[in-house]
Amino acid sequence: MTPAGTGVPALLRALADPGFQAVLGLPRPDAPPLPVAVCRDFSTANVLAPLVARRLDRPSRLLAVAAREALASVGDPFPWERARVGVTAGTWNAGTSALVEVLRTVFLSSPEEAPPAQFPSTVANAPASQLGILEKLGGPNLTFAEKQVGGLRAIAEGARILLARRADAVLACGTDEGDWLNAEGYSRLGSLQTANHAGMVLCECAVALVLAREPGPSPVATLAGWASAGTPAPPHLYPTDPASFVAACSRAIVRAGMAPDDIDLVVSMANGIPPLAEFERGALTALFGSHRPAAIGVADRFGDGAAAGTLRALTAALTVGGTVTPQWAPLPHLREVGFRPPTARPRTALVTGLAGGGSSLAVVLTAS
Amino acid sequence: MPPLYSRRMGEVWITGVGLITALGPDRETTWRRLVAGESGIGPLTLFDPTGFRTRIAAQVDLSGLVLPESRFPSVRHTSRASRFALAAAAEALGDAGLTLSAEAHPWALVQGGGTAGLFEAEAFVARRLRGGPLVRGLGEFVEVPQDAPTDRIAQALNITGPRITVTTACSSSTIAVGLAAELVRDGEVPVALAGGTDALCRLTYAGFNSLHAVDIEPAKPFDRRRKGLSLGEGAAVLIVEDAAHARARGATPYARVLGYGVTNDAFHMTQPEPSGAAWERTVRAALLDAGVAETDVDYINGHGTATEQNDSAECAAYRRVFGARVAEVPVSSIKGALGHCLCAAGGIEAAVTAMAIARGVVPPTTGFSEPDPECPVDPVPGVGRNCGIRAALSSSFAFGGNSAVLILGRVA
Repeated sequence: MTPAGTGVPALLRALADPGFQAVLGLPRPDAPPLPVAVCRDFSTANVLAPLVARRLDRPSRLLAVAAREALASVGDPFPWERARVGVTAGTWNAGTSALVEVLRTVFLSSPEEAPPAQFPSTVANAPASQLGILEKLGGPNLTFAEKQVGGLRAIAEGARILLARRADAVLACGTDEGDWLNAEGYSRLGSLQTANHAGMVLCECAVALVLAREPGPSPVATLAGWASAGTPAPPHLYPTDPASFVAACSRAIVRAGMAPDDIDLVVSMANGIPPLAEFERGALTALFGSHRPAAIGVADRFGDGAAAGTLRALTAALTVGGTVTPQWAPLPHLREVGFRPPTARPRTALVTGLAGGGSSLAVVLTAS
Repeated sequence: MPPLYSRRMGEVWITGVGLITALGPDRETTWRRLVAGESGIGPLTLFDPTGFRTRIAAQVDLSGLVLPESRFPSVRHTSRASRFALAAAAEALGDAGLTLSAEAHPWALVQGGGTAGLFEAEAFVARRLRGGPLVRGLGEFVEVPQDAPTDRIAQALNITGPRITVTTACSSSTIAVGLAAELVRDGEVPVALAGGTDALCRLTYAGFNSLHAVDIEPAKPFDRRRKGLSLGEGAAVLIVEDAAHARARGATPYARVLGYGVTNDAFHMTQPEPSGAAWERTVRAALLDAGVAETDVDYINGHGTATEQNDSAECAAYRRVFGARVAEVPVSSIKGALGHCLCAAGGIEAAVTAMAIARGVVPPTTGFSEPDPECPVDPVPGVGRNCGIRAALSSSFAFGGNSAVLILGRVA
């Protein structure tokens, strides 16, 4: 589920459109709309029974619909015992809308009237847990809340679960909802785009990838390597020194059995915030030296968030898998130093994430 | 069903512990009062409890916290949850004998993320819901993300390794310790700071009240009269270290991390699967991961929330795993003394379990006095008890059916 519409076909159409830009606008009480790319045509119809859908909050519904598509894609009969299928999810703001509704009652009515049905949805792991309940998935069920890195973390830790044989398959997911509290906070911090100010757009989306060890169903791509690091910074600011980030990228590439020159595609994490663009330009030129893989922008088209990281990984997987050649040029900060859009099918891709506060993660995907 | 796990944890030690609880602002005060059977549950003063069904909690006294020296002055003006985390991290590093230098420290940070700065942000939410101005200051929003306390630890201590924030509600920091041990075992880092922090706030207080999951009196885990949990707050940080690295610098371990299990019962968002079969699967997964037989387990630090459903399902799981031996293995819930610290609970309990192994003393279940036939375990009533421990379970269960069990063992 993306701001482009429902399902992978909608994403592919958007990626093939050089002029695609998500429509923005999240309403909020007594103030102008906020720059959030929302899933406008989202519906659970024909996917979830109404009685099921109504007990789920929005990020859980978004994820449930995305996960149904992912699970269906591995074929019938389902190849694994469901008790041995895990869920890893990354989210930035799951639970926030439910939280606001509970607090609305506490502050405007009475604490004793707090709605018991909504309280369980205030935990960030509600979407992953609801998915486990809905699909009867009994493996490890972990949620990671690491701002923009959470969705990539779900992929890396999903792989760790598989390597440790804690599950036979993992649904690695990301889900974020458009919510005014989170968006308003970041607007106030000066992080969001305005008419007069460069900044980030937030992305409402849910993405689910099925990770499995070989042998398994026909793969879209191979998760070849990953690594993470941190650079100390306050939680709402990006760091300026890219050394740890570059080291994480290098370790991910080495883990994949490659060198930087072997990378064909970079999926940019730049989201419109100028310091992040500067950070990325410095990091990628340090990492690649004179080599210039192709690059595409995603966060500038769909917006940013935890699930947007999973979406960047999905885009990379579809690209190296040969399903699509994205027509989205990278932002100027990369074009200026020689990164160009892909003209042929890349076989390897580097996907990165950097969160406010300085946590970073890199994954390498290759054609299978 | 095929074996769940096949890899062994190897030599991963716990070499330092930091604890911030309602019983004390440090590890030793908490331990001394806990073993003495004291309770940290008392009147809630953090916010006005008028209108809430209950008025008690296990609240931390901020005045005793010792925050680390930092090159970033801003870390001294952080949320309550971050202050707990910072103080616990500093204490754990000191306990482990790991000195901080001016250089970056390539250690991992694996933390359970809870409400983070929500208590502070609630003022902002209240103002907006009442039609007030957007935001007065920025500080009240900066620490809303659940990984903010993790960021603050990294910032204060200049930590540059992998930084992971797990949020699976009440099993968050149990899983964090398990993940940290995996990072160390896999050779990604020699040292990881694992644990979690959580602070009381109106949201959780109202929410658990709305579910009628809280007792108006202090919690009585495993007791026939139990009527619910008591909410608490606090933090734990455990230094999880590669044994060879620890030996080389002469560190003294509390315990080994032998393995862990994590599963989902896929049953209900707030209620555990009642037969105990799902929880049994987690315990068995952990035992298999650790390579430990049921007969090697000498102590269980239980989840023991004191809700009707949790304690009976948990004890049913232990009965299924340990059979007749279930009545012989001490099972204590420290939530009767520290309250349920939610995302920090598992880390606090893992820390106490490690201390119990090292000191040969198991803590009591404060609040317990009347046995319940549904909970046929030995809950260690009264005060702590001497007990040699070869291997111990630290068990957690969470909203959404996420259960996690750590297996810690004595270092030979």
